[in-house]
Amino acid sequence: MTTRSFPANFKSLSTISDFIVTSSEKAGFTPDDVYAIQTAVDEACSNIIDHAYGGENLGEIQIQVTQVKNGIQIILRDEGDPFDPDDVPDPDITSPLEIRKERGLGIFFMRKLMDRVIFEFSNKKGNTLTLIKYKGA
Amino acid sequence: MEFVITEYKHCDLMEISGRVDSYTSPKIKEALEALIADGHCKIVLDLQAVTYLSSSGMLTFINALKHCQQGSQGKIVLSNVSPQIFTSLELAGFHTLFEIYDDVVTAVGKF
Repeated sequence: MTTRSFPANFKSLSTISDFIVTSSEKAGFTPDDVYAIQTAVDEACSNIIDHAYGGENLGEIQIQVTQVKNGIQIILRDEGDPFDPDDVPDPDITSPLEIRKERGLGIFFMRKLMDRVIFEFSNKKGNTLTLIKYKGA
Repeated sequence: MEFVITEYKHCDLMEISGRVDSYTSPKIKEALEALIADGHCKIVLDLQAVTYLSSSGMLTFINALKHCQQGSQGKIVLSNVSPQIFTSLELAGFHTLFEIYDDVVTAVGKF
């Protein structure tokens, strides 16, 4: 298990991705799966900055990576406002360009690319988002 | 992330390299908006050296495409899209909104 904390700003996304790519490669995922995990975590972190903290540099994002049986578990913690991905409807990905809505794409990616997405909130600990991906799933 | 813009006779080519995410996409958005404001609405986005494209990057491209198509015959096409980036575009349903070409020469030649 490896835990690292990053300032909750968009500049951190590149460093976070390096950490996630290295961890996923070490866990034995294929390049396509590594890219998928990178995408899910990048979108999750962007949402934390935008929606939980409501802006940059208002806290930290703590990321804990654990190799689990045949996969990887990534836990993201922040101390922002409660943010439940279930409150955000999936985007309509078939709508024409003129009326295409922008909201919800990041969460949609998370749900599609990972095998499990679990959101928890407590007043004491803030938001906890658990992302799990299994090899070959 | 870096980009280079080359003006051709019939279109502009923007060659992007590195990560296109929430941190870097505003810089691309700014450059595309400046191009479009100058009446340059025929644009090739070459993604050969792009290592990662997030939803914010995709939305930057989509918004530029919308602006190009408003009141003009402009369009934005993509070239050298890696299989992983194509998969992300496909997941978002954006792959049908852009013309996508295998290489820059073909993409530029479409204008």
